[in-house]
Parts: sequence; C-alpha cells; structure tokens
Amino acid sequence: MEPLDQDLEEGELEMPADPMMLNMGPSHPAMHGTVRIVVELSGETITKADVQIGYLHRGFEKMCERGNWNQCYPCVDRLNYVSPMLNNVGFSLAVEKMLGVTVPERTQYYRVALGELARICDHLTCNGAMAMELGAFTPFLWYVRAREMIWDIFEEETGARVTHSFGRVGGMAKPPTAYFKDVVRATIPRVLAVLTESEGLLLKNRIFLDRLENVGKVSKEVALDLGWTGPTLRSTGVPYDVRRAHPYLVYDRFEFDIPVGTTGDNFDRFMCRQEEIRQSARILEQCLDQMPDDGPINIDDPRVVLPPKEEVYSTIEGTIQHFKIVMEGIKVPAGEVYSYTEGGNGELGFYLVSDGSGTPHRVRIRPPCFAITQALERMIVGAMIPDIVPTFGSLNMIGGECDH
Amino acid sequence: MNSPGTSFGWVEVVLTILKILLIVGFCLNFSAIAVWADRRQSAMIQHRVGPNRAVVNVPSFIIQGILTAPGILLGALAALGLGQALTPQAAIERMGVSLQLIVFVAWFNLVLLSWRVSRKGALNAFEAAVGSNLPRAYFYAGLAGHVVVALVSVAVARQVSAGQIASDKAYLAARVASVVLGGLMGASGVYAAMRIPKGPVGIRLAGTLHGIADALKMMFKEDFIPKNADRLLHALGPMIALFPALVVMAVVPFGEQLCFQDVNKNGSFEFAELLRVKGAMARDAVCEGHSVPLQIVDMNVGILYIFAISSTGVIGAAIAGWASDNKFSLLGGLRAASQMVSYEVAMGLSLMGVLLIYSSLRFTPMVSWQNMYAWGIFVQPIAFFMFLAASMAENKRVPFDQPEGESEIVAGYFVEYSGFKFGMFMAGEYVEIFTGAAIMVTLFFGGYTMPFLFADGIDVTIGETTFFAYKMNHLAVTVIQALAFFGKSVFLSWVIIFFRWTLPRFRYDQVMRFGWTKLLPLAIGNLAVTAVAVVAIDAAGPGLHSTLKLLGQLSHALVAGAMLVLPVGLVWLFLRPVESTRFLRSSSARFAAAAGGVKPTPMQA
Repeated sequence: MEPLDQDLEEGELEMPADPMMLNMGPSHPAMHGTVRIVVELSGETITKADVQIGYLHRGFEKMCERGNWNQCYPCVDRLNYVSPMLNNVGFSLAVEKMLGVTVPERTQYYRVALGELARICDHLTCNGAMAMELGAFTPFLWYVRAREMIWDIFEEETGARVTHSFGRVGGMAKPPTAYFKDVVRATIPRVLAVLTESEGLLLKNRIFLDRLENVGKVSKEVALDLGWTGPTLRSTGVPYDVRRAHPYLVYDRFEFDIPVGTTGDNFDRFMCRQEEIRQSARILEQCLDQMPDDGPINIDDPRVVLPPKEEVYSTIEGTIQHFKIVMEGIKVPAGEVYSYTEGGNGELGFYLVSDGSGTPHRVRIRPPCFAITQALERMIVGAMIPDIVPTFGSLNMIGGECDH
Repeated sequence: MNSPGTSFGWVEVVLTILKILLIVGFCLNFSAIAVWADRRQSAMIQHRVGPNRAVVNVPSFIIQGILTAPGILLGALAALGLGQALTPQAAIERMGVSLQLIVFVAWFNLVLLSWRVSRKGALNAFEAAVGSNLPRAYFYAGLAGHVVVALVSVAVARQVSAGQIASDKAYLAARVASVVLGGLMGASGVYAAMRIPKGPVGIRLAGTLHGIADALKMMFKEDFIPKNADRLLHALGPMIALFPALVVMAVVPFGEQLCFQDVNKNGSFEFAELLRVKGAMARDAVCEGHSVPLQIVDMNVGILYIFAISSTGVIGAAIAGWASDNKFSLLGGLRAASQMVSYEVAMGLSLMGVLLIYSSLRFTPMVSWQNMYAWGIFVQPIAFFMFLAASMAENKRVPFDQPEGESEIVAGYFVEYSGFKFGMFMAGEYVEIFTGAAIMVTLFFGGYTMPFLFADGIDVTIGETTFFAYKMNHLAVTVIQALAFFGKSVFLSWVIIFFRWTLPRFRYDQVMRFGWTKLLPLAIGNLAVTAVAVVAIDAAGPGLHSTLKLLGQLSHALVAGAMLVLPVGLVWLFLRPVESTRFLRSSSARFAAAAGGVKPTPMQA
C-alpha cells in the first residue's frame, strides 16, 4: 500500500487506473441520432472529448447539381428539417439574386409570414427538446402541441406538414389561402399562451436553472472567432441578426427587437430563443396587417415561372413555355452568388454557381450549425456527463444541415 | 403478541401467513396500479390519451351476469337480513345505514348513467332526462341527501330512546329501508345489464389492465444477458432490488389489533375462536382474550429494521451496474450506490427528532401517540419534508433519478436488462413508492388511526367539551383503521408519483451537494431544536401541557374537516367538466369534423 499523504500520479499507484473512454452516440438518446461524442472520463468529469459529425451525410449538394433549379427544393427542405420553410425562402432568394429579379410585394410578405412561423417551430422544438432531455417531459409535450398548431397552418397552406417544397424561383407554389391571415391570427395567441405556461413550469424551478446557468459558457470573442451566428451568437451579447443587419424581403418595414444574452451560457441561449418566439409573433402581426390581400404571387416572366395550366392546355406559347421550363430548367445567367438569410440557427447562406445551362453548376451551403457545433468540444471539456445534454441541446445541432 | 402463558398454536402461523400474503399481494398489485397511475397522470397533465389500449373482450352475457348477480344478491341480503331479533337501537342503526346506502347507490348510479349518456347518447326518455344534468349535479345532490339522512337518523334515534316512538314502528322503518335498498340495488343491476349491447364487450377498466398487459409482456420477452456479463450477479441484481422493498413492510402496522374472545378459557388459540371477535372494547382496555396484532411482526427495533433493510436495496442496483458489462450501467450503478448511501444518512437523521418525541422505535406506540396528541406532520413538519426528499432519493425517483437518467446514461444500471428481470427492477421501484408512503403515513400521518376515532368509537372532544360521541364495536373500528391506513398510503403514493411530471432532474454533483450540505445540516439542526424543545416542554408546568393538548385536538379537528372538504373540493376543482377546446385548423381536420369526426385525434390542442 502506498502512503496516503503523498500526491502520486495515477500511473504510480499499485493498481494503475486508466481513464474511462465512453462512446456516446450515434445511437444515444441525447445525441439526436446524428452525432457521436467520444469522451474520456475521470469519474464523471470529461477530460477529453471528440465530437464526430457526419452521420447524416446525404450528399445533398451533389444531388442539387443533378437536376434543374426548381428540383433543388426537396433537397433544400431536408437541410434544417425543423424549419424547412426558412430553407425554401433562403434558396429562392439566392436564385432570384442571380436572376436579378424581385418577387411581388405580396409574395415577400407571404414569405416573411411563413418563415417566421417556421422560426417559431424551430425554437419551440429546440427549447422543448432541451427541457425534455433534462427530465422535464411535460413542457416538451406542451411545446410540441404548440408546434402542432403551426404545422396545421403549414398543412393548410402547402399540403405538407414538414417537408413542404413550397418555394419556387420567382414566387411560391401557390397563393395564400383565403383564410390564411385569420388562421394565423387565431393561432399565435395560443402558441404564446403555451409559451407562458411552460415558462411558469421551468423558470421558477431551481433545479432547471441550476442545470442551465453557468454551464456551457462561450465568450463573445470565441463565438465570433468560430463564426457563430443566430440565437447562439446573440446569447453571448452580439446583437447580430441578418434580418436587421442586412435586411432582405421586407424585414426593414417591421419593428422588432433583437434579444441578446450576457454570459453566453445555456440559460441565455434558452432565453434568447424564448424571446425570439415572441419577437417573431410581433413580426407576424405587423406582416399580416401590411400584407396585401390580392395581387400577383409570381413574377411576370415567362422564362422563370410556369404558365397557368389553362394556358398550357389552350395556347401554343403556354405549352412551349411549360415544356422549356420543365425539360431544360430555368436559364439562370452564368455567374456566382452568395446569398444569406437568417435561418432557425443563424446565418443560412447559399453559394451558387451557374454556367448558364438549366442546371446548377455548384450548390454550396453555409449551414449555421456547422460553425456552432465546432465549439461543442471546448464547451464540454471540464464539465460533467450530465452537462453534455443541455449544452448540446441548446446548440440545436441539426444533422441535416450540418453534414453537407 | 400473545398473552402470557399461551402456547404455540397453528392459528398464529396461519394468521401470519395470511398477513404476509395480504401485504405482499397488495404491494405487487399496487405496483401495477402505480404504473398505471404514473401514465394516467402524465396523460392528464400533458393532454394526451392515457393508457387505454389494453382490452379484454368478454361475451356480453358474462358482463350481464356480473352486473346482475351481485345487485340481486346484495339486494336480497339487504331485504331479508332482518330475520334476526334486534334491539330497537340496533333497528334504528340499521335503518340509518340502509338510508345512507340508498342515497349512495342512487347518486352513484345517476352519476355513472349521466356520464355514460353524455358520451354515448341516450337510449330512452328517462336517460335523456338523467343526461340533461351534469354528473357533478348528482354528486352534490347526493351529498345533501347524506346530510339530511344523517340528521333524520339522529333525530329518530333520540325519539326512540326517549320513548316517543314505539319500538315496533322502528322495526317497520328498518324493514322498509332495507327492502327499498334491496330493490334499488337489484333494479340498477338489472338496468345496467339491459344496457349492455350484444356481442363481446371490451373491458378496459379505465386503463388499469395496462399494468397487467405490461407484466405479461415482460414475462414472455427474451431474457437477454450480455456475452461478457457475470451471469450469477446479473441474475441476482433484480432480486436484491425487489426483495428489501417488500420485506420492509413487515414491521409497518396496518391496524392496531384484532381481539378474539377466549371462549374455552384454556389460553390456547383455536380455529373455532376465530369467529368470535370481541364485541366492544373500552378505550384503554387490554385485550383479555387472544390479541392478533395487525402487523406481520412487531419488533422492538422497529424503525431501525427499516433503515437496515432498505439500505440493502443499493446492493441490487450496484451489482446490476457492475455485472452488466456496460459502461453506462457501471456509471449508473456507481451513481446509485453513492446517492443512496449518502441519503441514507440524512434520512436517518431527519427522523431522529420524531423519534425523540414519540420516545419509541416501535411503530404501534408512535401511532397511538399521534392519535392521542397530534399527527407527526404538525409536530415535525420540517422532518417530514426532509424525509420525503430523502426517500425520493432512495427510491431513485425524479428529480433524483440520476442512476437511470435516460438522456445521459441511457438507462443507467438496468440498461442491459430485459424481460422480467427488468420488470423486477420496475416493480421494485413502484413497490418502494408504496412502502415509502406507508412509512411516511405511519410516522407523520397518524398511521392507521383517524382523528377522533378510538378503540370504543368516535369521540369528538376538544378541550373539555364533547361535541359528538358514538360507540362502535371492535370489528368496525378495526376495519376502518385498516382502510384508513391503505387509503392514506395510496393517496400519498399518488402525490409522490406526481412529482415526476413536474420536475426536471438534478445534476449528479448537485444531488450529492444537496444531500450533504443542505439536508444533513438541516436534519442535525432540527434534531437539536427538537431535543431542546422536548426537554423544555417536559419541564414546563401543566398549563403548557393542557394548551398543547388543546392544540393537538384542534389539529385533529383540522384534519377531520379537511377530510370532509377534500372530496367536494376534488370534484369542484379538479374534475371540472372538460370543455371542448378543439381548434380546427387544417383542412383534413375540418373534413374529418364535417364527416362527423372519425376518431379523436390523440393530441388535441
């Protein structure tokens, strides 16, 4: 037996101890099925961590290059599958930037409204899942119930609850339904009521606060160095929001606040998302008030937008136009463009290269999650196993867009 | 304990086996019911469909038989049960009980019928009339009926004892009430049977069959053992986890005692004497015949036995974690071991103050102390909450479920268990909920006693004033005591289960810090304050003693009042009629509604 009053290295003990390697994921309840973390443990404390992404890699960029521009939408839907409408809008804007066209005002408002609804879904899912992984199952199901209401709106507007494929170059697939505004106006107060109710269950709860506060801290400088954007960046105190910094669509016409955190810990990220849901509701309210009730939804350019079906069947111009767009694709002029919007997790950028044929030459995505997930390793080293759960949850890593 | 001079008898052996069967059977069944309660509560709070999938299809004639036969049998018993000779007092009592039962059967059936009509529609004009009122209206009317009948019975009893009503009229009233009761029971049984449609009927019993279905499923599942696991320890783990949870109940009393007459005066207890329960008991009388304690074994170490046994439960979790050959299991087993050992200390110390006050380690004196003075929760409220927290940590329930925290270490120490071995862990956890509740009831909620209920009947005395007194026989008091014990324990279990659906879980180090730096010092402080207070009160004069006694009686009155208000409050506040808050947005939902609604969506907004 070695003397107990001397500090010995672990290797010098009579019974040498190796650090325990633990393989969390990809099939682990907290890993969302899409990431693997190999941690080295000393007791329950993490001494080393290796975050391995790529389990949801589907080669979506390559897939986009095989079809024409409008055939990218189903692939784009599946990037951030929690808020697919934001991806649709972002991709449409990128292609339209290349074409040099602007969609009619009504469509711009429509895109803002659908995009903000998707953002609410995204934040509800993230915060709810985070609470659930901490053991608070009830708020999660309440949040999902609120998300369900919004998905019902999407189902009504687009025909699909999750992967809508609703965007089109130069417009949208369909105009808003007659009661779109009424339904959204009726639903949003209910969503906000669920939000307030769940906050009553969580924010007065000492256990919940203890799990979040001062865990997974990231400083402003580190966040900027790593290229963070979105709610996670704002939680560190940087008020950068693409909607405000580089307004697109009609975002410059709305009044809304950008919530920022102070410490950049899990609690700040949670609260930023909560507050952004309320700000999105504010934007929606103004958007619905300003949105015209009638008017064209697509641009008036036969080279870009499919003609109405009755023209296709009754006029030779319509038939040819339809044939050209379907068979050859939209002839986007040769060149390259980088277009960026505020996605659910931050700046969602598309870098597109066109060679002038109807097919994209190169589609490259700048997913917000990729930059954010880089930080996970340094956030969990030194913490304990249970801290992985809220830290990883609050980053809202979505495998679909991260593994590109 | 047997009276002195009693030799060993087979009756005691048989009675002990019966008691063991009762307790074990109750615990195991309750664990299935508690699983159901857990799911049911989650459905209530999360607005989901609860457990209701398990169904047994029974032919309708069997259901009709089940509904008709007891109704007619009970009715016949009630109507014909007046054959024996009765004193006028007994006849009046029987009339009162019959009238109360009439009111109960009436409102209960109307509530059921009205609820059924509101869900499935009326079959005839009578049902439409019944269904036009909410079920709660019948409940309130029934309460009023109970009060009126009680007042009338008391008034009639006074008149009879004063000689103003002839005793033959009392007999007539009792007979009429019994016949009406019998008729009502028979008629409602027959009517319910008539309402059963033809063909097999799916019996769901509000989803309680789910627990049975779960248990059956587990028995038939593959028992998977990892390749490198220690097969012996792997099999031993769940047994060690379940065993202490059941054995702890051995010392918890579920009633005071059952006293039998010593008919043949020879001191030995014979089977024939089992039918001769003593008629009435004086308040503080010692049983002269054969006393059967309603407790499997009355040990003089009492509560220490509970600490000793329940702390062996940790071995099960630790062995399971070690033997499974899985790193997540190992982490879970380690967490379980350290957490349970740490909280054992706080748990023991939190009860020391109570033990000082009761000055006994055995449970029966603790319960009689509470009946005489005040319930433990009023005397030591801080100790109760500390004990509650510590026993939750011992049970590994949310928010102390780190050993199995599913989002961190998958399922902790039982991640490699399947089939009935996993079932034993689960049953052990739910049995522990019940045993924990039973111990808390015994220590803090008066155990098997009810306020103002004594061995000789009800006696509501506050200070020197007697408000109400009523003599009851020994068997009735004992039955009420046993029911009170199980009822209180089940209620407390329900409350404990509810925590799971409102709280997130601690982090592992926060749990340990909470146990050692908050709970333990608080327990020691509580013990010190209690010790000083006990000494001070013992030294104080009789004035303080009588004041404390009066306060204790007031606390009993408070509890009794709460028990009366509770059912009404439950109906009034929690069982509100569900407003249909369905909110149709998507066109598919509207199409479904237009088609008459195909199926209720599981997640209604």
